[in-house]
Amino acid sequence: MIAALWRRMTVLDRFIVALLLLGVLASFAVLGRQPAGARVLVERDGRLLFSAPLGEARRVALPGPLGDTLLEIADGRARILSSPCPHKVCMGMGGVFRRGELIACIPNRLIISIEGGADQGSPAYDLLSH
Amino acid sequence: MPLNRPLIVVLLLVLLAALALVKRGGREAELREGRILLGTLVEIQVPRGDRAARDAVTAAFAEMARIEALMSPHRPDSDVARLSAAEESLEVAPDTAEVFALGLDVAARSAGAFDLTLGRLKALWDLEGDNPRVPDDAEIAAALEGIGPGALRLDGRWVSKARPDLAVDLGGIAKGYAIDRAIAVLAGAGIEQASVNAGGDLRLLGSRGARPWRIGIRHPRSAEELLATLELSGRAVVTSGDYERFFEVDGRRYHHIFDPRSGYPASACQSVTLVADSAMLADALATAVFVLGPEKGLALLTEFPGVEALIVAADGATHATPGLAELKR
Repeated sequence: MIAALWRRMTVLDRFIVALLLLGVLASFAVLGRQPAGARVLVERDGRLLFSAPLGEARRVALPGPLGDTLLEIADGRARILSSPCPHKVCMGMGGVFRRGELIACIPNRLIISIEGGADQGSPAYDLLSH
Repeated sequence: MPLNRPLIVVLLLVLLAALALVKRGGREAELREGRILLGTLVEIQVPRGDRAARDAVTAAFAEMARIEALMSPHRPDSDVARLSAAEESLEVAPDTAEVFALGLDVAARSAGAFDLTLGRLKALWDLEGDNPRVPDDAEIAAALEGIGPGALRLDGRWVSKARPDLAVDLGGIAKGYAIDRAIAVLAGAGIEQASVNAGGDLRLLGSRGARPWRIGIRHPRSAEELLATLELSGRAVVTSGDYERFFEVDGRRYHHIFDPRSGYPASACQSVTLVADSAMLADALATAVFVLGPEKGLALLTEFPGVEALIVAADGATHATPGLAELKR
């Protein structure tokens, strides 16, 4: 069938077909290789509350049951600036930037995680027992 | 336009290619979800991103929430809260009875170093609350009155207290049981490889791809340093440390693992890491060994075949069961 179609094509038809096929191959090559940019995700009770690229500096107030937790994204890192929780453990966790890293504020029920992006020096273990 | 035109064929090819790309982009290599449950962050990892895996992870979290509702002392309708308030024996859920059975066994074998009746003592110190404090000796003595391995009796699903004012606390074992249940739900849904990590206490299902899981053990005095890295498949690892939850008064640290004999935080160890087949057993034994200290703790573990431990004593010296070296990377 392809041979029959090919015989019926004009030169312009063949040119358009070649161009489109080239476009398809190029899209495979480009989209398949490109890594997704790292993003900051904020979840509360299993629901996505907020998401933003790690590369764009901003401050966001995240509402939780105790009040607003202030998240800062700056210099390619996400960290908690202030929190209404009693022990401020989330503030003490510092900045996260590696894929899979997390900050959690248990009392205010917020989970901040980093997704996507290149693998930037992951630790030598899969999980940490502490 | 007739369908046998070459352009139509090419456009169909383009559409197919686009669909293939969308499918490829939507397939995640690994599923990693977190929820706040049992007072900590619980993370489940499954190296599959398909719908069945997502449903299994959701079901595993739901199972852990069910266990929390049964065993949290803060929920008035939980088995634990009802039992603490009860004056007579009480029928509990089969899950709660299972936890009591193992908990009372470890309590008896550890001569009370592990205790399920520390509810009053923990409320007194209020370490989990907003205003922790060091109680006076009389308060501590009153909170310890009547506790011990003989203070509770389990008969089938019926639990009875030796004294009506005893307050039950499953803090040193319920989290381990919830982890075990989550793993059971994942395995029941056909998941072959996964990890359930509840605030650093974890259990593994299968291996991680073609190799074992690599589990880092935190150094108790340096958060950046690893004490060891263990290579494990399908086992549970629980660490009890004096660095997790504590407060300081006059330069002295008061942490959350209490010695039932003194009513004060146990002082024989900095951290205890337990490797066992079940997270519930690892959880209970980690607390018992932390309270007993390295020497008596290792002696207790000889009664539990297949259980390994890595202990950092109060003086910083490390002790381990003979089989631990084989697990080190």
